[in-house]
Amino acid sequence: MPHKPPTQEELERRKIVGIHEETITDVSSSDYPWTYPGEDHSWDIEAFKRNFRIEFHQNDPFEASFSLIGCDASIANAFRRIMIADIPTLAIETVFINNNTSVIQDEVLAHRLGLIPFKGGKEGLHKFLKWWRRPEDESQINNSYYDFNTVSLRLEVKCEHNEKAAPGETDPTKLYKHAHVYARDIEFCPVGRQEKYFSGENAIAPVNPDILIAKLRPGQEISLSMHMHKGVGSDHAKFSPVATASYRLMPVIKIERPILGKDAEKFAKCFPKGVIGLEKVTKQEAAQKGSGYEGHEGEVKAVVVDPMRDTVSRECLRHPEFKDKVKLGRRRDHFIFLVESTGQWESDAIFLEAVAHLKKKAQDLEKQVINMVR
Amino acid sequence: MSREQYQVPTGSPTADGGSFKVAPRDYVSGSSDNTMHYLCGDCAARVPLDKGAPIRCQRCGGRVLYKERTKRMVQFEAR
Repeated sequence: MPHKPPTQEELERRKIVGIHEETITDVSSSDYPWTYPGEDHSWDIEAFKRNFRIEFHQNDPFEASFSLIGCDASIANAFRRIMIADIPTLAIETVFINNNTSVIQDEVLAHRLGLIPFKGGKEGLHKFLKWWRRPEDESQINNSYYDFNTVSLRLEVKCEHNEKAAPGETDPTKLYKHAHVYARDIEFCPVGRQEKYFSGENAIAPVNPDILIAKLRPGQEISLSMHMHKGVGSDHAKFSPVATASYRLMPVIKIERPILGKDAEKFAKCFPKGVIGLEKVTKQEAAQKGSGYEGHEGEVKAVVVDPMRDTVSRECLRHPEFKDKVKLGRRRDHFIFLVESTGQWESDAIFLEAVAHLKKKAQDLEKQVINMVR
Repeated sequence: MSREQYQVPTGSPTADGGSFKVAPRDYVSGSSDNTMHYLCGDCAARVPLDKGAPIRCQRCGGRVLYKERTKRMVQFEAR
């Protein structure tokens, strides 16, 4: 029997991960050579170009959501991991504490300072600033700080009684001056060429000025200076440019047989708002034999409106009235990314940088492989 | 580190952190630096105390006095 090429329907079916009441089926992809006799599934750049798509759903400075359609999980996961662990950002790395008489311990204070996300001029951050490397000779460490690898910050706060406070005042922020130390109290000290790259709008400053660092009482003081360096998330989470970068697979809801009337309303309630819509059965549908709509003209039926909003809770599979009427699944090659930036990078720029990064890694690997076979 | 190598640090930290200017300070013979300051455990006042003076807060009479924090810079990794 000669081999028949697969129908479009069959190709779609192969992409779906089945989600059943208590099990999940067809988890791994099958579009590689030797899975289907007579079909060539070897990887081809032209076929990839033809099928690959990116759709943006949301693109804000702090949050971007987009879909990668038609790529393998390994690629999508590589992007996710690169975004979390390999995109460099600037963060506080060393803290020089001259005085800290607050109740918060020096090491805890230093740790808290390290986790504060900072923003600054994009050109200066991404092009001008370079890596700082610890010198091999420890005694040369003070000669290793330059304007292009270290950013200097200061924090000088002293808490005092506020003489102008009303008698009987109990709010510490009114009773004392500087009772709370916020991220906005951190002062940027530009050195050398940093004046050029980080002035005015572009000054290095905390993204969220209202982060509470410590609380003070009269007589207590925090006086410290800090050095910021570039780093990557694989070294420490404070260097990660994203709060979260995650993906999920596109949910698929397939209504196999009509769900009508009261059942339709109940069915819609099994999903988050907006996933399932209710429509009236039309005359044509009711006239069609074997469609299941015969004699139901004017009744409401459940239709899938926006499967992307579904959480795939499988609630609808619990009810006997929907048995065999609905099929749940996820598209194996449709990745819905959600990238939340901490503020140093634009959220979409993080993804673009991840793409560039993966390309660089691949080129490095190519060089190594060529060296190896030579 | 062996005991012989240990030396009492005499440098005073500079404000920019990281680098030390070595400027030895004489704690014993200096007339102005002779009085030590302590913190009262009761009223939190800064109490100057001469050598041999009774250990007592001049303001509230509290007998618990704490040492002040070191004037030296302390370096931490923000991790």
